Amino acid sequence: MKIHVYAKLKDYFSPEFELDAVAHNTDELKLRLLEINGEAGQILDSCRFAIEEGFIDHDHKLKENDTVIIIPPSSGG
Amino acid sequence: MIRSSSSPLPAEVSNVLPESIRVVTGDPLDIVSLLRQAHHPGAGAVVLFSGEVRDSNKGREVAYLEYESHVPLAEKMVHDILDEAREKWGLKAAIAQHRIGKLAIGQSAVVVITAAAHRREAYEANQHIIHRIKHEVPIWKCEYFSDGTHQWGNNCNC
Repeated sequence: MKIHVYAKLKDYFSPEFELDAVAHNTDELKLRLLEINGEAGQILDSCRFAIEEGFIDHDHKLKENDTVIIIPPSSGG
Repeated sequence: MIRSSSSPLPAEVSNVLPESIRVVTGDPLDIVSLLRQAHHPGAGAVVLFSGEVRDSNKGREVAYLEYESHVPLAEKMVHDILDEAREKWGLKAAIAQHRIGKLAIGQSAVVVITAAAHRREAYEANQHIIHRIKHEVPIWKCEYFSDGTHQWGNNCNC
């Protein structure tokens, strides 16, 4: 599974990386990410998750070849 | 850039946008050109909002800003926001464009233009659109300060 992160999340993770661990949904993905960087809990809790087709809910079933985009709170304008 | 219009346009205004013009762009925003495309014979009011880079934030001197975005998702969301606003307020035109990359003090980061029959609809729709762009669309601001530090925006001061 490929992971793309943006903005403040780049203080905790590489902008793009491959996740070898299994994550069936975004709740499990958060746990896998916390194993990489345990300090990212607060920011991850405020993030939305998306795949190519758009935003996904926490129970959306992730596939092994998905690219998951992790989106922190917006700050445009 | 997005243009939404349901009525005929004056002859000098093209309803076909060059493919190179995007909702999210790394190029400087051409406000005059965008405004020119918002005129409409049925619109008695055109409101233009330009969000520009300020030289300070909470007492700290800002050197410049950088914006980044997940562009495919941002473009889809802005299109949807403009379509909804056009429908809700009966807009004759709705345009939004957001810059990404490095911006100097005084440069425009985002432009929203709304055209409607009367000013109330144009003002309300414009405020609605910029509010949603700032809070929902995956675009992020990083402030670089004169003391060499930087900070990602959290939109708490808008």
